[in-house]
Amino acid sequence: MNAIRSGKLGRIVPPVVAFVLFVGLWQLIVGQADIPPYMLPKPTDIVASVGDNWRSLLGSVYTTALETVIGFLLSVAGGVLGAILLASSKVIERSVYPYAIVLQTIPIVAVAPIIVIWFDAGLRSIVIIAFLIGFCPMLSNTLIGLNSTDQHLKNLFRLYNASKWQTMWKLRIPAALPYIVGGLKISCSLCVIGAIVGEYVAGVGGGQGGLGYAITYAAMRIQTPYLFACGLMASLLGIAFYQLVNWFSRKLLGSWHESELAPDND
Amino acid sequence: MQVLGLNNVSKMYKNGTIAVQQANLSVREGDFVSFVGPSGCGKSTIFRMAAGLSAPTGGEIEILGGSPDEARKSNGIACVFQEATLLPWVSVRDNIALPLQLRKQPRKRQVEEAERVLHLVGLQDYAKALPRELSGGMKMRVSIARALVANPRILFMDEPFGALDEITRQTLQDELLTIRQKTERMTILFVTHNAFEAVYLSNRVMVMTPRPGRIAGEIRIDVPYPRGERFRAHPDFGRYVSEVSESLKH
Repeated sequence: MNAIRSGKLGRIVPPVVAFVLFVGLWQLIVGQADIPPYMLPKPTDIVASVGDNWRSLLGSVYTTALETVIGFLLSVAGGVLGAILLASSKVIERSVYPYAIVLQTIPIVAVAPIIVIWFDAGLRSIVIIAFLIGFCPMLSNTLIGLNSTDQHLKNLFRLYNASKWQTMWKLRIPAALPYIVGGLKISCSLCVIGAIVGEYVAGVGGGQGGLGYAITYAAMRIQTPYLFACGLMASLLGIAFYQLVNWFSRKLLGSWHESELAPDND
Repeated sequence: MQVLGLNNVSKMYKNGTIAVQQANLSVREGDFVSFVGPSGCGKSTIFRMAAGLSAPTGGEIEILGGSPDEARKSNGIACVFQEATLLPWVSVRDNIALPLQLRKQPRKRQVEEAERVLHLVGLQDYAKALPRELSGGMKMRVSIARALVANPRILFMDEPFGALDEITRQTLQDELLTIRQKTERMTILFVTHNAFEAVYLSNRVMVMTPRPGRIAGEIRIDVPYPRGERFRAHPDFGRYVSEVSESLKH
């Protein structure tokens, strides 16, 4: 019991037990209540659906993952570079930042059809939609980070006659890394959502349907177990992506920032 | 030779607060001048103006033969603040080498000079450590080392030991005096709340009073360097401290 309470076992066992209980209850209740699969499939129906359609499911996951990654990388590059530009000049920041806020408030489901009209249905539109949804958190977080540099450190750089570029590169950007990483964690999940929403609207991505397309297709045919399977895959994709970003965060900040330092042993 | 001159220097903020009023001061090369006074008497404001980080609203400042901006650009001055202000993401050595890095000195020179001052402050074994691995006293040593790496002619120290315990504070006071002995002709301007510290370290103590901030008086500490525990135990030490404390009350 003590081994379970402490250490790795203590972190893994409780959620696994909760999951098994939940799935078990679900299986039992749906079976006993005789609920039809098209309304609420049993966990075993979902697993069977995954087994029967694993090839197309894997293909859908790959397509959505590709769109997500490209959209995410573009949103990171655009958000960080945009924030650096805004942070370089108060005039530019005051002129442009309000419009970035407006962009953030427009629902992506309203923008997506316009993107498809402009860029045609397919991979390009979906990547742009994923980019748009991930861009704003990256821009906001990075800008807040760049503007939150410790005043004493800024004085120090001024004292040593650092140029604006030196101050940005050697001080403000490294100091903003915790905020940038916060933005990465928000954007990575949003980009998965953006890619799937884009697939709802744009349809097939790059010739191979993604998870959003598969969900739409399954919904139209009331293939509810497959619908659940696609939702599960989307969730797993989001979790995997988030864990990757988490790993990157630990590598970047683990040696010096409180948010990623390992707790001291008592 | 005068290295710093304040001529009727004043600083008034936009809200009308007079932080410093008509301060006059002449500092000669090699002086160790402490500024003692309560919070809000303008000690740090005078420092910021002399270091070129804030402009006076009245009077003139001449430092190293030119304006504070010119002195800053000629790399003749360095500062140590109450917070160690180290970059947490780089090593101790790279923190110390920062002034040289910003001046685009070759990497080899940066490392050599950083190692030299690391030895000076007794932290040669911590070159690759990160700031979070250091104690408060060690971080302050690194901050001092960084200030010394570019061989400044004037060192401003704004309550550098204020956040440390008494034992560490006294240890660093002794180390500072040792460093001063080794770095010839360096002038040090030192802000402190602590009359004991001011008397122990300085040859001149400027007493400041608040509202508005003024240099109310000067007390010369006519005790030669090097100084050590004997000076702390000597009756003259207590006499000087009393003199400073009395001046602060009036």
